[in-house]
Amino acid sequence: MARITLENVRKEYGDVVAVRGIDLEVPDGSFVVVVGPSGCGKSTTLRLVAGLESVTDGDVRKDGESLVGVEPKDRDVAMVFQNYALYPHMTAERNMTFGAGSATDFDDAEIERRVADAAELLDIADLLDRKPEALSGGERQRVALGRAIIRDPDVFLMDEPLSNLDAKLRIRMRAELAKLHEELRTTTVYVTHDQTEAMTLGDEVVVMNDGRIQQVDSPQRLYDYPANRFVAEFIGDPAMNALEVAVESGADGARAAHPGFRLPLPDGDGLDAAVDSRAVLGVRPEDLSLAGADTDADAAIEATVTVTEPLGDSLLLECRVGDDRLKTQASPRSDVRSGDTVALTPDPDRLHLFDVEAGTALYHSAEGATAPDDGRTTRSPPATSEE
Amino acid sequence: MATREVFESRWQAAALLLPTVLVSVVFLYVPAVRAFELSLFEVGFGTGEVDFVGLENYRALLTSSEYHLSVLLTVLFAVAVVVGVMSFSLLVSFLIHEVEVGKGLYLVSAIWPYALPPAVAGFVFFFLLHPDLGVLTRAIEPPYPALGLLERPFEALGVDVDVTGPLEAVGPDVDWFSSGPQAFALVTVVAIWKQVGYNVIFMSASMNNIPGSLTETARLDGVGRLERLLRIYVPIMSPTLAFLAIMNTIYAFFGTFAFIDVMTDGGPAGATNILIFDLYRDALQNFEFGTASAKSVVLFLVVGVLMYVQFRVTEEYAYYGG
Ligand SMILES: Nc1ncnc2c1ncn2[C@@H]1O[C@H](COP(=O)(O)OP(=O)(O)O)[C@@H](O)[C@H]1O
Ligand SMILES: [Mg+2]
Repeated sequence: MARITLENVRKEYGDVVAVRGIDLEVPDGSFVVVVGPSGCGKSTTLRLVAGLESVTDGDVRKDGESLVGVEPKDRDVAMVFQNYALYPHMTAERNMTFGAGSATDFDDAEIERRVADAAELLDIADLLDRKPEALSGGERQRVALGRAIIRDPDVFLMDEPLSNLDAKLRIRMRAELAKLHEELRTTTVYVTHDQTEAMTLGDEVVVMNDGRIQQVDSPQRLYDYPANRFVAEFIGDPAMNALEVAVESGADGARAAHPGFRLPLPDGDGLDAAVDSRAVLGVRPEDLSLAGADTDADAAIEATVTVTEPLGDSLLLECRVGDDRLKTQASPRSDVRSGDTVALTPDPDRLHLFDVEAGTALYHSAEGATAPDDGRTTRSPPATSEE
Repeated sequence: MATREVFESRWQAAALLLPTVLVSVVFLYVPAVRAFELSLFEVGFGTGEVDFVGLENYRALLTSSEYHLSVLLTVLFAVAVVVGVMSFSLLVSFLIHEVEVGKGLYLVSAIWPYALPPAVAGFVFFFLLHPDLGVLTRAIEPPYPALGLLERPFEALGVDVDVTGPLEAVGPDVDWFSSGPQAFALVTVVAIWKQVGYNVIFMSASMNNIPGSLTETARLDGVGRLERLLRIYVPIMSPTLAFLAIMNTIYAFFGTFAFIDVMTDGGPAGATNILIFDLYRDALQNFEFGTASAKSVVLFLVVGVLMYVQFRVTEEYAYYGG
């Protein structure tokens, strides 16, 4: 059990800056997921915690004590890799026990007992005397997890452990990982590029881009109150629509004006400040609905359907509004065709405004953006001027 | 198994194979058969007269103590070279693998002796370690002028400390012109030195193919460096190591002729008279083609048996999994 703290952590590889100053707190026993596009510095961050790389600047602490200069083996962390990193010439059991001797002070009997426990927990008891080549991807990753578990480390570090598995297996292993953490309660930092994985697994999700943390929050709050355009468009699939609008004030309140529509914006924090300037309107495809005949045309967006994509459970529509594109989801068996003109009404409580240049969120139409009822505070770094 | 029809006719396939078959037959099989045939004859020196003697040549080898010594020497030499080359190269490759800066430079320095022709390498060491003139000889043999410098500060203090004196008695006397063991050690060391580059190329490539995450897992588990090398890397590299063991064996038996020829001429007193050199002398200096042929047949059998054993051991232990 341990708490991990990153303080202004920076990592440079020659000219390449992989991590540009990260502050992060991983509470004891939590499951924190770091998510971001490929190359954003997730693995580097994890490896800095593991001690496989050394920080260029800043501090990594475990339970308040600095880990800078501490050898990986003395940090009491176990890592699980995307490629499983099993020793190919050893049986599953040997793979699990090989490092345990040097990493822990368990005696042989204790190690044996722990292997048996882990094997049962992970359902790999029958596979223990097989070599990795005789195991499927999912089984290999279980063995790798078992190897991490029997060491009983302070922290688990997982670098895209499920990314080499097929989609079905990935979903199953995801659930098992969540269950495993329920049971063991070991502090875990989990890295992935898959936002669905991040949302389903994390107590807290850290969204990274370009070596910086964009937002740290619970999955639902990331989705509901993205701190900036990057988070808004990265979290959620299909991605949030973004349309540049002029925010105007009128007798009946503020409106988002676009060549294709003039949407009323409900009162909310930050709206007044945004009035009389340009902003980017964000609205998720699933928050747009096809309007019936009786809708208030004033609150609708007129759009021309350009592409329809049947997904089975819904019909994804790609539309054109003025010069902008927009995606929305319609009910699966609606008879919308490409070329049709449709009226889309957004959920008034699910609108967002972002700064045109910096991309920071200016306004969320839903209540609770700044004072979440669960006591969490939305943390996001100030828009940095660096580079 | 389904055969794919690539060729229009069997004749076309045969025609394409012909050059390979022809070269093999002319340069490998015919000479081999001829050598065996010749080993059953006694060839008169100068006259070219040929007498059939049956297995007499082999019987003579069986009873020649000189030849027995040569066989023993050769096996000893081969074992020393193969074990020496491989352990030293493994260590060098591992050090290069572990070092963070200047990998390329170290690699080149380890490999370049391989580019030197054996005869040239032989001459270089002949002079470096010449009993009277060698630069290295002076460093190995007492008195040690460099160590003498250590005495200076004590002298200045008026204390009489003798560092080199006691070493004078234990220091070696480089004299491989007349000492058999020294000559044997010399050619072994040179043969090893020459072959390290070849081994380092393969070992480094093989070591670099080991996924970094294995190393990192080991590091996180606190597996020591030596244990990592011997219990993780070596098993994974075993196919390459098996291949190298075979190549090095062949090298030790056949590729080391030039060192002997240039440096020791098989001497002193036959101490470096390995089989390949021995049979060269019989054939091309003494012109005893019958005996030389018998010796080459024996050499072939010895190496053949060794190869067989190595292949079997490899099959048993080398890890080829994916
Ligand atoms: N050893 C390295 N040497 C140089 N650049 C590196 C090294 N490791 C990572 N990088 C660079 O740092 C950035 C972040 O990499 P990484 O942390 O692996 O990203 P992620 O895991 O998010 O995909 C990338 O631009 C990558 O090219
Ligand atoms: Mg990565």
